[in-house]
Amino acid sequence: MEPGLLKSADWPLLIDVYFFLGGIAGGAFVIATIANLFGSERYKSVVRVGYYVALLAVIPAPILLIVDLGIPTRFLHMLMVPKPSTAIGAGALTLGPFHLKPLSPMSAGAWALLVFSGCAFLAALDVLLEQRGGRGFPALRMVIGLIGSVFGLFLAAYPGVLLGASARPLFVNGHWLGALFLAVGASTGAAMIALVLAVTSGERRDALGALMRTVAVALVVQAIALVLFVVTVKMSGSVGISRALAPLLSGEYSLTFWLGAVLVGLVVPLALQFAGGGLRRASAGITALVAILVLVGGFVIKYVLIAAGQAT
Amino acid sequence: MARTLAMFTDVSLCIGCRACQVACKQWNQLAPEEPEWTGSYQNHQHFTDKSYRLVRFFEEPDDKVGVRWHMMSDVCKHCAQAGCLEACPTGAIYRTEFGTVNINQDICNGCRYCVSACPFGVVAFNHDTGTATKCTFCNDRIHNGLGTACAKACPTQSIRFGYRDELAALARKRVEELQKQGYKDAQLYGEDQNGPLGGLNAFFLITGKPSIYGLPANPKLPQRNVFVDSLLSIGSAIAVGIGAVVAFRSRGGKGES
Repeated sequence: MEPGLLKSADWPLLIDVYFFLGGIAGGAFVIATIANLFGSERYKSVVRVGYYVALLAVIPAPILLIVDLGIPTRFLHMLMVPKPSTAIGAGALTLGPFHLKPLSPMSAGAWALLVFSGCAFLAALDVLLEQRGGRGFPALRMVIGLIGSVFGLFLAAYPGVLLGASARPLFVNGHWLGALFLAVGASTGAAMIALVLAVTSGERRDALGALMRTVAVALVVQAIALVLFVVTVKMSGSVGISRALAPLLSGEYSLTFWLGAVLVGLVVPLALQFAGGGLRRASAGITALVAILVLVGGFVIKYVLIAAGQAT
Repeated sequence: MARTLAMFTDVSLCIGCRACQVACKQWNQLAPEEPEWTGSYQNHQHFTDKSYRLVRFFEEPDDKVGVRWHMMSDVCKHCAQAGCLEACPTGAIYRTEFGTVNINQDICNGCRYCVSACPFGVVAFNHDTGTATKCTFCNDRIHNGLGTACAKACPTQSIRFGYRDELAALARKRVEELQKQGYKDAQLYGEDQNGPLGGLNAFFLITGKPSIYGLPANPKLPQRNVFVDSLLSIGSAIAVGIGAVVAFRSRGGKGES
């Protein structure tokens, strides 16, 4: 098809911000859980800050989504309608007024956001109780951490899968957007925890080092997924595919892409970490700088992909 | 399930009068729009939230006659495997007992995912109502024993309404006829129920390659990607997860700081 005959959802910046915050929330939650399960006492601060970041990042999420709807008062229709039928899609599940469509990432994502928000709230509450001198609920925190991590990973990745399940030529011909968004969620989630720790208490070098190593791993996965995405789109051989890629690689959005997403978001932070020894014993200054770059790059890569995909 | 209904649009009979477009607007009470200059008699460039039928005009360069002029009354294809329907997170888009695809305007909340999920660029967002809109296959008419308004209005029977199996037989016969007359490129688009998207319930007879009419040669269901994309996401999660576990297990520097 002439790509010009296809229509775009014209999702505004609000949605990019939601995808960004959802990634941070999911990533931070998973990292806090890993620090809780596998880390020693030294990483208590990561667990605490991670669960707080997850909750604070997910709180604006539903608001952003609801504001963007054509009829915001109908937001609950994402989860329930008076009498859902099964003629609403392949494999549609209904229970009373509730419905879930496994083939619609937006439907599954709405449920994931709901469950994850509950887990993020409980985990943050537990951390708060502990911080206030209480004993907390270690076993419960572990269970909530594991359940929340599954949905957190989902929350970080599903926007990419959602874009891939549209007819936009840039999105539909590559398979790596979900994998990419997940890695961005992990890198930005870890970066946000690191930034908070570096700014509030520069002495936690062990924690900062572990977070920086996590960021490095996520950035490498992010880079691989990005390259594979562009390559699979290019090799798909669909009609007009070079025109679909052009805005991203050489056209309207190319400067933002190469400068913001690749250089600032990937190359510089990785170089800083490997060259500056940040992976071993991170100084608060370097950590904060890397974290800010990763956060900026994480937002830009999501923004620029969506903008370029909607433009063609 | 009632017998599947269909519309068969035969471009070889279309005279570009746009009676279908007008009939559609009248019956469905679609508000007037600013005309658009597109360089031909076509108006508008694309389907809009207020134009569910759209007569498209195409010019095909030809060595013998200079230019061949194609007219095609385009409409929502009511795909057997519909991208908009699968994408819709609210269940507003549903399949009727006649096999057509309709948007329940009382359920739709205007998320616009269907707009980007249609492989034909049919679904449009209506800023006045805040909902997604498209051809309803005259849902009110077909539930009261009437055909679609566009088919009713068409003066050349270029648009036909009826049961899918009957129309498909008619369409295949028409292709044979045209090929006998020398239209070697005459072919059906979307009639084959084993073909792309499980067949289209509004299918077409075209007298040239699909690309001439702006139709994708091999339209695909966008949701076919969900499984593979999800698997790759899980792979990414495992890679990052293992990396994070190792990062927190290993001691970075020597000695505590």
